Amino acid sequence: MGPGQVEMEALGQEMAQARFARLYREEGRAILAYALRRVDDPEDAADVVAETFLVAWRRLGEVPLGGGARLWLYGVARLTLANLHRAERRRTRLGRRLAETLRTELSTHAAPAGEAAEVLRAIGELGEDDRELLLLVSWEGLAPSEAARVLGISALAARSRLHRARRRLRHLMEEREMEGLG
Amino acid sequence: MNAREIERALAAADPLGREAVERLDFEAMEGDLLADAEDDPAAAPYDPRRARRRPPRLVLAGAALTVAAAIAAAVVLVGTGSDRSSRAYGAELIRFAESTPLLLLEGPGWRVQNVYETKTREGTSGQMEFVTGKPIPYWSTRSTGNIEEGQRIYGLPPLSVLERRVELRWRSLQEESLADAILNRRGYLHAHGRHFIRLPVLDTTAFVDTRSEIYLNRGGPHEREVAAVWAEGGDLIELQGWVPSLEAFEERLGWVTKVDSSTWLDAMPAKVVKAADFEGTAREMLQGVTVPKTFSISRIPNEGLTTSREQVAGKVMNTVACLWMRQWGDAMRTGDAAAQAEAERAMAGSRHWPVLVRESKEPRAAVPEIWQIADEMPQGYWDFRGHHRDLLAHAEGLGCARLGLPLKPEKQRRQREHGVPPPPD
Repeated sequence: MGPGQVEMEALGQEMAQARFARLYREEGRAILAYALRRVDDPEDAADVVAETFLVAWRRLGEVPLGGGARLWLYGVARLTLANLHRAERRRTRLGRRLAETLRTELSTHAAPAGEAAEVLRAIGELGEDDRELLLLVSWEGLAPSEAARVLGISALAARSRLHRARRRLRHLMEEREMEGLG
Repeated sequence: MNAREIERALAAADPLGREAVERLDFEAMEGDLLADAEDDPAAAPYDPRRARRRPPRLVLAGAALTVAAAIAAAVVLVGTGSDRSSRAYGAELIRFAESTPLLLLEGPGWRVQNVYETKTREGTSGQMEFVTGKPIPYWSTRSTGNIEEGQRIYGLPPLSVLERRVELRWRSLQEESLADAILNRRGYLHAHGRHFIRLPVLDTTAFVDTRSEIYLNRGGPHEREVAAVWAEGGDLIELQGWVPSLEAFEERLGWVTKVDSSTWLDAMPAKVVKAADFEGTAREMLQGVTVPKTFSISRIPNEGLTTSREQVAGKVMNTVACLWMRQWGDAMRTGDAAAQAEAERAMAGSRHWPVLVRESKEPRAAVPEIWQIADEMPQGYWDFRGHHRDLLAHAEGLGCARLGLPLKPEKQRRQREHGVPPPPD
């Protein structure tokens, strides 16, 4: 390897690290919010964030530029969540630090009550794909076409499923309401 | 329940307030993430470990050095391992040594070149120079430009010399907390971009500023100044060095070792003056120096520091000069022409004080401050670009108040009222 190549590699590494750090700064909070909404224990969310970004580091070349990066990260976070087993918790430095930060600074992870609790229960009865689609649009604020990219389905399929999911959720909630009245 | 009501109910069920996450200081955790990435066993796009495995550019020379280093390391371990703590130091010296962080850089072929220690309000602060190869003399630099647009520095030794030196600095955490030090480092002008990581050191993790070059004309892919900060006991520790790569710095950081006070004192080179040798060294340095009637050896404050000969020399010479300047100032106020003339003659004679003569002959050395003051005494003022300035106020810059010998009457009054020398600056 000639000196020129060495320099290029060093420069490439610097650039990769700079991009990676920027990705974390710009999207880290969104990924943490995504994870926190889907776990009971905030410490699990910390691990999901750490693992998601490690995957991003390993596959930095695949991370789309611009707004697509967040969708790509949501996709990774979703798979990381699916594989999250407490017994196999992998404590990275970031995971430890973030978990500690969440323990001391995040106090809003309280159990929902009232109508919110009813909605969450109803959401829990939806199929996993429908539920994720609905939440990506409602909680993460994605357009149906963006949620489609996260889930790896077509935009058309996403719109159709979204319509179905909302109908199903409404049905479930109306059922609960009727049960409550009865 | 229509679609809009469903959406509203869903939004209301969001368990997370947006502001809760916005508040978190994600940037503070960036170093941890980058350290995780570097430690990640899976292949990374630009894996630093891949670079680490890269053979050195001068393969043969590198290999020979490695072998020599291994032998040197073995000799050090076998040769000094048994008697490391056998050398007896007085309890007082041990106590003084223990006021420092007792850290050494135990790299093969590396040694302590010099130590500087200063008493501060909060404790002691100091720095140690570790070098490998030939001794590295002092250098003086000049810089151009300004902080806003960037500066350029001239006069630094070649990189091959800079890379043979590592500086370890410490100061009390009460003086600067670790959080502040990190914040300050983040805020520096980084001529070649900011890149911070975390690396293990001793039993903690250091915050590492991997591109701490502040000058536009220094730094490149194989020329980087790296600095690590961490907390050790009650001190903030800073390790700084010029290295060809981040891996080289990581290696140096790995050599940092906490030792006991005897080992630490043993590691001091002959030129470093230990607290117990202070008085003898001071007497040696006073050979050929004309001292005033008010002088006695106890006038030179021995703060129990382990420090460089230059620092001791500064203290000894400045104590003598401050006493002469006090006599001169008092004589000016009282109109004692003989005492004034005696002080002027003695200070003019400082051109022959052996320590100052040696100092002035160092490469690129500036004219000793004492000589500059002596030159201005006959005219009675400090000539600053054509303006007449108070020479006593200027001479205070020798650290007279710190030595317990303030020159200005108001400072002397304050000293009398408080009964003790003013605290260190």
